[in-house]
Amino acid sequence: MELNIEQIQVLSELQGLKLPEKELDNIAIRLSTWLTAMEQIEMEMGDQMNAVDPIPPVFPREEF
Amino acid sequence: MSAPVQNLFYLTAIEQARLIKAREISPVDLIKASLERIDRFDSTLRAWITVHAEQAIEKARKAETEIVNGKYRGPLHGLPYGVKDQMHALGFPTTLGSRVLDEHEKIPPHDATVIGKLSEAGAILIGKQNLHEFGKGGTIVFPFGQPRNPWNPLYDASSSSTGSGIAPAAGQCSFSLGEDTGGSIRGPASCNGIVGLRPTFGRVSRHGGIMAAYTSDTLGPLARSVEDVAAIMEVIAGHDPSDPLSSPRPVPRYTDHLTGDLRGLRLAVVREIAYVEGIDVEVREAFEAAVQVLRGQGATIEEISLPWAKWSVPLQLLTADADVASWFLAKYLRDRYDRFDVGTRTRLAAASLIPASIYNRAMRARRLVRAQVLDAMRRYDALLTPTNVTQPRLIEDTKEKLEDRRDVVPRLIMRRIAHYPFALSNVPAISVPAGFSRKGLPLALQIAGRPFGEAMIFNIGYAYQQVTHWHQSHPDLDKTLNVAF
Repeated sequence: MELNIEQIQVLSELQGLKLPEKELDNIAIRLSTWLTAMEQIEMEMGDQMNAVDPIPPVFPREEF
Repeated sequence: MSAPVQNLFYLTAIEQARLIKAREISPVDLIKASLERIDRFDSTLRAWITVHAEQAIEKARKAETEIVNGKYRGPLHGLPYGVKDQMHALGFPTTLGSRVLDEHEKIPPHDATVIGKLSEAGAILIGKQNLHEFGKGGTIVFPFGQPRNPWNPLYDASSSSTGSGIAPAAGQCSFSLGEDTGGSIRGPASCNGIVGLRPTFGRVSRHGGIMAAYTSDTLGPLARSVEDVAAIMEVIAGHDPSDPLSSPRPVPRYTDHLTGDLRGLRLAVVREIAYVEGIDVEVREAFEAAVQVLRGQGATIEEISLPWAKWSVPLQLLTADADVASWFLAKYLRDRYDRFDVGTRTRLAAASLIPASIYNRAMRARRLVRAQVLDAMRRYDALLTPTNVTQPRLIEDTKEKLEDRRDVVPRLIMRRIAHYPFALSNVPAISVPAGFSRKGLPLALQIAGRPFGEAMIFNIGYAYQQVTHWHQSHPDLDKTLNVAF
């Protein structure tokens, strides 16, 4: 997913963040990169992701 | 007292402790040796933000009196240490390596639990150590000076517990405490040529640390030997009512498990990390040599595939960074954006825009990646990788430019591919020195274990250090720092 700087501006306004214009491209690259990676993860693991709960592993219950 | 010990400051913490216990050296000698190293070299290394020399000497005198009077508290008694300036310690401002905080906000309300435990054990806090801003990687301009690698100051000392890696490597303290959310202890340990442990999540209290990745943050030790790290963990590990996520499991006497016997152990090399495309040739050679050493000590070593390990880098950023960003957004990012370093604020701003639906999906994927790691742990006693798949980089090459979208993912994956799979899984992982590049920069072996399996990975690292001498090599700062920059 490639985001442009206009989309970043809209998203950041929703969060109450005023970002300097010169940094918008940097932020767009960062966010686009992770969302694109997530698309690839969905393709590879999506079905299995539907079968688990998103529980943080902060209380390890495994047998170890 | 007997004759002065040569290079006292480069002995391991345990060796220093033996001399103190035998009253062959005084804690005062040791503290003064550390402070002298800071005084001489830290204008270049910039490992420290705040040092309280007189207070440390006073505490050393008190420790000396206690020991002379027969009140020896254990192997950390009288040892000087530093802490990443991300943990509260009474009497020291908590700067977080940032200009974002106002002066009154830097006043610590209490000691971090780990600081309290170390005080009880008689260790002496001499100062707070430099770090990437707020413990996030990617700082471009350091408010308290650019940290530099003691093996070559033109090179990076890694992030984000940067000063905590430099200081023991430079003989400025016996050990440090760092913080590892995604690799921030193991990276500096590797680049500076010392040992660093990311403990199992929940093994060490996080109370009094200023972190916000509540599913991944860990506090852990950096020191000059595995034995040192095991001894420090005996003190700082354990349940803490102030940290609701700390584990009630009993803490083993880790040093009792240091047998050095690897016979019968089954270890696995993680193919996707150890042989990732683009791995530095010298890193791979050093790693393969380390594997051969362990094999020679009786361990069975096979190769294993963790095909989802590569996704741990985006998943860590889509989850842990989003947690961190939400905290910063509420506290500082909206009102103090300009006071952040540009590297920190652009990273946090991007993470603050991750939709909740994506975060949820990433947490599900994280669970699957973790399940793959744990499945490997059921078949093997520990997993092996290089700690970093690249050599330490020139400082000028570490400044994130992000001008070309095409190389962002490969660059970030290369930087953190060895760290994030185990951070995301919340299993323990230790970095152990394993050689030097042709440029004389440290390289390292990473050993990852089962949840709460610190004793196992300590013993593997300890066994390795019984037959190798990489951890006994130290930079001659009079020579290594004598370069123009």
